[in-house]
Amino acid sequence: MLVKYEFLKILRKKSTLIVMAVSLILTGFLFGLPVMQYQIYNQDGVIKGAEGIAWEKEQSAELSVPLSEEYVAETIREVQGLFENPDNVGYDGNEKFLIGDAYWNKVAQREKLLNLIANTYSKPNEILGYNNLPDLDIKDGASFYQAMEAKIQTLLGDSSRALSQEQKEYWGSMAGRVNTPLQYGYYGGWEVIISSFELLMFSLLAICIVVAPVFSGEYQSGTDAVILSAKYGKTKLATAKITASLLFGTAAFILHIAVACIGPLAAFGADGWNLPLQIANTVIPYPFTFLQAVLINIGIVYLVLVAMIGLTLLLSAKVKSPYLVLIILVPVLFIPMFLTPNGTTGAYNLTLFLLPYRSTMPEFGKYISYQFGGLVLDALTVRAIVYAFLIIIMLPLAKLGFKKHQVA
Amino acid sequence: MELQLQDLRKQYGEKCAVNNVNANLVPGVYGLLGANGAGKTTLMRMICGVLKPTSGSIRLNGKTIGQLGERYYTRLGYMPQYFGFYPDFTAREFMLYMAAVKGLDKKKAKNRTEDLLQMVNLADVADKKIKSYSGGMKQRLGIAQAELNNPSILILDEPTAGLDPKERVRFRNLISNFAKEKIVILSTHIVSDVSYIADTILMMKQGSFLLQEGMDTVTDSIRGKVWELLVDERTAAKYSRDFSVVNLHHENNMVRLRIIEESAPREDAQSVEPSLEDLFLYYFGEETKRQEER
Repeated sequence: MLVKYEFLKILRKKSTLIVMAVSLILTGFLFGLPVMQYQIYNQDGVIKGAEGIAWEKEQSAELSVPLSEEYVAETIREVQGLFENPDNVGYDGNEKFLIGDAYWNKVAQREKLLNLIANTYSKPNEILGYNNLPDLDIKDGASFYQAMEAKIQTLLGDSSRALSQEQKEYWGSMAGRVNTPLQYGYYGGWEVIISSFELLMFSLLAICIVVAPVFSGEYQSGTDAVILSAKYGKTKLATAKITASLLFGTAAFILHIAVACIGPLAAFGADGWNLPLQIANTVIPYPFTFLQAVLINIGIVYLVLVAMIGLTLLLSAKVKSPYLVLIILVPVLFIPMFLTPNGTTGAYNLTLFLLPYRSTMPEFGKYISYQFGGLVLDALTVRAIVYAFLIIIMLPLAKLGFKKHQVA
Repeated sequence: MELQLQDLRKQYGEKCAVNNVNANLVPGVYGLLGANGAGKTTLMRMICGVLKPTSGSIRLNGKTIGQLGERYYTRLGYMPQYFGFYPDFTAREFMLYMAAVKGLDKKKAKNRTEDLLQMVNLADVADKKIKSYSGGMKQRLGIAQAELNNPSILILDEPTAGLDPKERVRFRNLISNFAKEKIVILSTHIVSDVSYIADTILMMKQGSFLLQEGMDTVTDSIRGKVWELLVDERTAAKYSRDFSVVNLHHENNMVRLRIIEESAPREDAQSVEPSLEDLFLYYFGEETKRQEER
């Protein structure tokens, strides 16, 4: 009963409706931008938006294949063959590339796949295109998965990463669990979602704005004296307020996720949900499909949200006005946006990757790990642990803060 | 039932808001009188357990609030001076919400809500949002919520503040109806609010009780010291400076003064029956004057 009324209190406020409406529109717009701005080229010129997406999907239909060693070798050989005919090759003074029908009929529709193959053979920090495929020696086969493993090992051994032996073993073992051969296919919608997660920061802030008055609003309006002098004022009411805030936060989060995903998935389709992440980048060590990766990161963003609700409620229980809550909270959420990591190790970087903003970004291919003695944990696991811990700490503290509040 | 205030003290830095207050309160209506800033609200908040005393204790039948916990709050009804409500709730929703916070079961909550809304004459507008209510309607809703759990201790902090005379009379009658077999502490600086319904007067000044007296004997301390006399305007001005003038009334070219003084200020001064207002002004005349000037 108390939870119901506390939930109503949150929901009935005009400010709640306004903040939520603005936040949902913004989320829909930001996640919809890649759809609106989408453009692809074919022989006839540029095709934009939904039409371009439909064209790309049609072209990709034939690319739903397992990337077997034979298939990769055959594909490389095909490209090398195209480059052998001088009529197909253009040169811009810097590099060679395919032109005319050779490009539009044989490469354009699978350029993403060709780039993926080329980059599997590249050095760390080197970005190659399909036009580097002729340089590969595949007389003895493509050795694609060997190259993939070798690149990961090179990345792990890179001295600038300063990974310990345990960390290298951890990542090596994780990468070893990736099922091969990789199944290739179209994954446009999931790619947009994965690369846009940090845009959910605005919805996190909006939800925190709505719950900021849960305790401090009572102090500000003077209702604290009445409710705290009632039987359950210092006990069940505080729990009900926290529960209602979490219920609201969860409902609002689900709504935001739905709005965020609906645009990309409606436009690009849900194709590729069961394909491995590695078809976007072969050095990603996490053995997840696109759907698993998205769900896991949504789970982490949810934990970040609940922890931020916990912090908001704690501040709300301690200060006398919801505005003061936001004055403290907004910098906590947004200052990290302006801090850029300068690597993936060291206290500064490792802390930065745990702050709310960076925690919304999955960074699947960055090998961010934390070592505690002999125990190595990846960033996703540590984020889950840290935010779960913060939730466990902050929610009871918020309850205690309200219980101890003095009406003065 | 006995509510004991023992050496109650509340200190804010250098300022002592409540200073060693002692009282044993049994069922009855207590009029807590004092000028603004006398410490009435602080005292009431401490009694309601929403403000921790710096020292001293509040005991109900010998047990402290801490020892009683929820059992104390079950017996308490509080209507604070500045009471915000929830503007987007209707009166009925607000009452049901407060009933839930007070731990009433669903059926009882519904019945009490309907009875009380009827009693405070808000039944017809019970489904309107509180933000559309007038000050008087909000005050009535305030006392209705305080009565929800039928408390044995009812604390009302300046319940008539901002009400017009008609609303004040209605409010007084409401309090009288609710007061049976309860400890009712009614704080105000409007003397007439308590003069009709209080059994005991607690007069507070600068954080301490100046007096605790039954209504029938409260004015005894100034009996024989209240005088009325008719003087010209010049004399009235002089007497206002020299004596404690509690009332001044122009009658044609003359002025009728009501003075509190140990002995008759003039031979023709007539001794009159002291009122509670005389007593209040006797103690707080200067403070009230200063507040009025501010």
